[in-house]
Amino acid sequence: MILLKLTRNELYKIFSLVRSYIGMILFTGIVPLILWGYGMGTSHIEGQIESSVSDMFFIEGSPTNGYTAAYFIMNFFWIHIPFLLALVGGDIFAGEHANGTFRVYATRPISRLSIFLSKVLATTIYTFIFVFYFGILTLGLGLIWHGGGDMLVFHDGVLILESSDALVRFFLAYSFSFVNMVLVSSIAIFFSTMVRNAVGPVIGTMALFIFILMVSTLPLEVFKSIQPYLFTTYFSNWEQAFYDPIPWGDLFRGVGLVFSNIVMFLGIALIIFRRKDILS
Amino acid sequence: MTETELITTQPINSIAADQSSPALACFGLSKKFKSIQALDNVSLTVPRGSIFGFLGPNGAGKSTLIRVVAGLIAADNGHFDILGKSSLKGHKVREGMSTLVDRADFYKNLSAYQNMKILGRITGHDSDEHINRLLDLLGLYDRRKDKVKTFSQGMKQRLGLAQSLLPDPKLLVLDEPTTGLDPQGMHEIRDFILKIAAEQNVTIFLSSHLLHEVELICSDIALIFNGKLAAQGSMQNIFREIDNVTIELEVEDSKTTLAFLEKNDLVSQVTPLANAISIEIHYNKIPELIRLMTAAKINIFSVSQRNRLENYFLSLMEEK
Repeated sequence: MILLKLTRNELYKIFSLVRSYIGMILFTGIVPLILWGYGMGTSHIEGQIESSVSDMFFIEGSPTNGYTAAYFIMNFFWIHIPFLLALVGGDIFAGEHANGTFRVYATRPISRLSIFLSKVLATTIYTFIFVFYFGILTLGLGLIWHGGGDMLVFHDGVLILESSDALVRFFLAYSFSFVNMVLVSSIAIFFSTMVRNAVGPVIGTMALFIFILMVSTLPLEVFKSIQPYLFTTYFSNWEQAFYDPIPWGDLFRGVGLVFSNIVMFLGIALIIFRRKDILS
Repeated sequence: MTETELITTQPINSIAADQSSPALACFGLSKKFKSIQALDNVSLTVPRGSIFGFLGPNGAGKSTLIRVVAGLIAADNGHFDILGKSSLKGHKVREGMSTLVDRADFYKNLSAYQNMKILGRITGHDSDEHINRLLDLLGLYDRRKDKVKTFSQGMKQRLGLAQSLLPDPKLLVLDEPTTGLDPQGMHEIRDFILKIAAEQNVTIFLSSHLLHEVELICSDIALIFNGKLAAQGSMQNIFREIDNVTIELEVEDSKTTLAFLEKNDLVSQVTPLANAISIEIHYNKIPELIRLMTAAKINIFSVSQRNRLENYFLSLMEEK
């Protein structure tokens, strides 16, 4: 019960801050722009695709429809969303330290564990809302703008997914992406418990994210052996939701590793937070 | 002075004397920050119903003790009881206690009402009626919808007090609540503290380095130096321990009075001031002197004891 009350408080605090809406406002502006640009630039691609595959397949609707547009946009943003999520996750503990409000909050007869869990829960809910909004915006607006139809996926050639299957695939893709984004938020929370200003955790999260991303994508032999253990290796695993057949084993192995990283970062953050002296 | 020599007293204005456990009892609290021993085996007892002043110079360990009791930092050794509940049983020890540590801070982008609501929700004290009553008590009802970032420091401090009263505490711990306030703001906070203690039946534990402030409102005090408790007891008993005090007399005829005092054996030092006469006298001899002056037909307008606590404080510091 107390956890629910505290989580409600945390959500109230998150959504009272302008920074919590920056990402959503940004996407509200940029997604329609991309969809407009996508529509302007795909007419000749559309013709090429139709002429090259029409003798082999019957494509329902336009091949450059709303599904394909949403898939196209997803590719763009999984590298940018972490930064926007870190703005909120990084502030969740450090912001209270900076404002001095922790002194007020932490002196109430509630356990540090409850405070911690409520903040983690609220950040996870915010992450969910963010990903959900991104999904609704890209997919919803894409379908309204460019219509539905069979979906083209470029993986080992051209893969055509039936329109009835596309929505399920998107649901899976967003679900896996959500887990990845929870990891980003967890890293931001981890840094947030260590410092007393909200800028440090954002920079720390992005620095760690970029560093590990570089190591996991560099085609150097020396890094090959550790790449399967780096969480960023699995940050594009949402793409696998569009493969046929879906490589469930690979997908869940990736989710498992990402989840273990979430537990590790939050576990360390909890230890730090429970032992932390609130001096100012 | 060792702990066994500390002055032991009963509360002056014990409101809840029937309840046997003290409002706050600390047992051998110690805390070290790197090489600095912030608290060194501190044991103290805050009687229920008292306004308890916790005094010490800057860096003496006042805030550290309050932060330990408030759950902001962990003690290295020792434990404490709040309203009879032991800290060994975890965070629930703070049920019934509320704290305003140092300067009051808020979610500045939220209104006074919203700030109250957030904290009230934690303990289930977030009804509109309760929040509005407290805002009214602290004179902030008319500004309840305004964002806290538009408040003056005095208003923020009052809002901090209102927040600390949200859970209907039996023990209110205030750490230097008048810090950063102008004289009017300080006066207001003092009045509110007295009002809260009287009307809400709350024990107040007040940390301050402003001796005059403590002298004005506290019934009991404890003094801490370099992390060690130096003295503890009721204000009245502590003052009885003081041999000589300085008092100021405002009289009708200064010249006659000066001549009278200089010949009087009770008075050890006489200093004429601009509008009064300052004398040093043994605390217990004050009533006798006033009787003698009245008998000598000296018209006395006022007798005020100056820097009583300050004298005591400084003498203890010298001992240390």
